[in-house]
Amino acid sequence: MLLLEIAFVFMKIGALAFGGAYASIAVVEKQVVEISQWMSYAEFSDLIAIDEITPGPIIINAATFVGMRMAGLPGAIAATLGAITPPVIITALLILLYRKYKEIKIVGNILFALKCMALSMVISTFVSMTLSTVFGGQAIAVNNVNILLTAMAIASFFILKKYKLNPVYVMLACGAINLAFSLLVR
Amino acid sequence: MSKAQKLWLLFTTAFTSSATANSGYAILSVMKNLFVYKHKWFTEEEMNDYIGLAQSAPGAMAVNGAVVVGYQIAGIIGAVVGILGIIIPPIIIMALVTIFYQYIVTNVYVRMFMEGMQAGVCALLLDVIIGLFTSVTKEKTIYPYILVIAGFIFVKFTDFSVFYLALGCIVAGIIKTLIMNRKAGA
Repeated sequence: MLLLEIAFVFMKIGALAFGGAYASIAVVEKQVVEISQWMSYAEFSDLIAIDEITPGPIIINAATFVGMRMAGLPGAIAATLGAITPPVIITALLILLYRKYKEIKIVGNILFALKCMALSMVISTFVSMTLSTVFGGQAIAVNNVNILLTAMAIASFFILKKYKLNPVYVMLACGAINLAFSLLVR
Repeated sequence: MSKAQKLWLLFTTAFTSSATANSGYAILSVMKNLFVYKHKWFTEEEMNDYIGLAQSAPGAMAVNGAVVVGYQIAGIIGAVVGILGIIIPPIIIMALVTIFYQYIVTNVYVRMFMEGMQAGVCALLLDVIIGLFTSVTKEKTIYPYILVIAGFIFVKFTDFSVFYLALGCIVAGIIKTLIMNRKAGA
């Protein structure tokens, strides 16, 4: 059944989403784009942009977005409940452990390794997303390079790094420039 | 204040902060201000410890944080009320946005705008990578590099589930603890 399948996929995402909001987005990418193939890289990028603009945790927003598109509101609710179940159980277990032992070295060491895993996943997502952006979702060839998008990505990075601007403004500016440019060229 | 009033205050606080804030830190600091400083339902030290636990668990920090805060206030019912307060606003907002998105995404101008935003998303991901990288390489050993490189190869070039990678990280954390203990004992 589709609803159960959606809930199960998001349970896996919830259980593996270590290392903060953007690290969770890498888990979503791996499960939803690569494994289940429920959306393309372009749609996935839309999701991140929409998440930046709307309030709420990224994993709930992603679950609602994907669930809604797969099976309407029931899909959104199934995905969200799936996504929060494993983290809530793990949080409860951590509270119990903490109350019993206060500080535990082994948990710290495991969490550190999981944080490294999160980093490797974000790097992987970044590579896939960047290839999809630079080559416009087409084959990797010099002819397919989208020069405007590539230049904007590099410029955005330096602006984010140097001026610590809110990423929302940087993204909106990129969108506006791309739209203006496409209108001018035509 | 009666238990019902406490629960209502918990729910409205979780609901309004989740409907307006984009980051888990912001949501938890709103709760901290209200429950720790104003109502003194628990101490600042307890709150900080619990935020630490909420961050270590996978998934959204806001949801996990609501679980620990809610549990402190009113046990299991408190945790459930906290979770509902956090997840209802993003589900409603994101469901509406998704309907709107599906309606406008075929429009060529919207498409060009969203395509431009992809460039900003790539830049944002790179910025996130640098942040995570600095945080895991604080201790100057080769250990985090090995984990990240091995993790990247696993995620990018194999078809195995990330679940096995997470298991590997747990094993790595346990081995590290054993080695540390042996060194401390010797």
